[in-house]
Amino acid sequence: MSNYYDLDDILADGEKVPCRFNMTVPGLGYLEGNPGKQINKDSKLELPFWLAKVLAVCDLQEESGNSFIDIASPEAINLKVLNAIKTSSKSVDLHKLLPNYYKLIERWCSMYSDPEITTIVMQMLKERSFEINNYASNPNMGVNNDFIYSLDEYEKKLYKLTTESNKQMRSWLRD
Amino acid sequence: MVLPAQLQNNLTPSEVNFLAENELVTILPRYTMQKMQLIGTKVPALRAMRRESVPLWVALILKSQDKCSIIPPKWLNVAYLKDKYDEEVRKPNQFSALPWNWLEISKMLLARASDDLSDPSHLLRSVLQDLREIRLVKSRKGLKELNESNIVLNGLSLLEINELRPFVLTVMNKLRQLHDTSNAQDIADQDEYEDGGYDDDDDDDI
Repeated sequence: MSNYYDLDDILADGEKVPCRFNMTVPGLGYLEGNPGKQINKDSKLELPFWLAKVLAVCDLQEESGNSFIDIASPEAINLKVLNAIKTSSKSVDLHKLLPNYYKLIERWCSMYSDPEITTIVMQMLKERSFEINNYASNPNMGVNNDFIYSLDEYEKKLYKLTTESNKQMRSWLRD
Repeated sequence: MVLPAQLQNNLTPSEVNFLAENELVTILPRYTMQKMQLIGTKVPALRAMRRESVPLWVALILKSQDKCSIIPPKWLNVAYLKDKYDEEVRKPNQFSALPWNWLEISKMLLARASDDLSDPSHLLRSVLQDLREIRLVKSRKGLKELNESNIVLNGLSLLEINELRPFVLTVMNKLRQLHDTSNAQDIADQDEYEDGGYDDDDDDDI
């Protein structure tokens, strides 16, 4: 699903998620800003997703079922945001929330299968993409509108592709 | 790849137009010419005032030299297109059957052989424009029904599909990826419980 050369993929992997350590680790204090010290059990801090993913999956001891860290759900998928998406998906500012929203959701859901989030996000994508298509096919609509600024990176790409194709079609019809 | 990204997955309208130039049309030559064997196609021997079908690009070259007149295809007249337009209005949920290349061929013939058409070109243009617009509105409306598994494009022509393609592909791919994330987990869970049993129903909503 991820593409080694895709910059957005790398950026999405670097997105921070809140984590809690299940054990004391010596020497990792620099993660909290205490270089040289240990990191205590139960301390909370934000780690990039690629690191958190490995630490959360690896078992501390065999058969213990405990992993190094527990990941809490990031802000982007907490109840408040999901409710906002459910009520009016078009007015949510995805770009402010997370520039690579869909990518993170994908990664999150493939780790912790959560059909509810997937359903909500798919519904949102359907509604928002329909709106994007409207904007892309009407060149005068995009000016000074907040919706265009609230698109995440994937949606921006979609908008660009659609505008481009519509533009080509219009110019072909004209000449 | 050297090709710009937007040209890799999609044809441009002018490329689609180029493809449409291979369509056969009937012409009425005004002079005699021997037959020609070309690499991709054959141009039959032409005798003055004997109908012959040739590729559209040959017809347009001959037409521009005033060496033939083009018999317009049977769908390119106001009555027929008006009929199709009414059909579009009557059936809001489907597209009427128009030729696969109707936009391209009508545009080329209107631009370069308008004196051969059976109806005045401004009337044809306006009914074609009406058709295009009503179909455009319909296909936009249809995009509300996008899902991760399939899309029905019955009756749309190549150029119209081509116009939608970048948008539809990108959205459907994303939907599929999102949909797969919850499915992948189901399959993994099932494997654990059933010891590799693979009779899951991940195609339940097709």
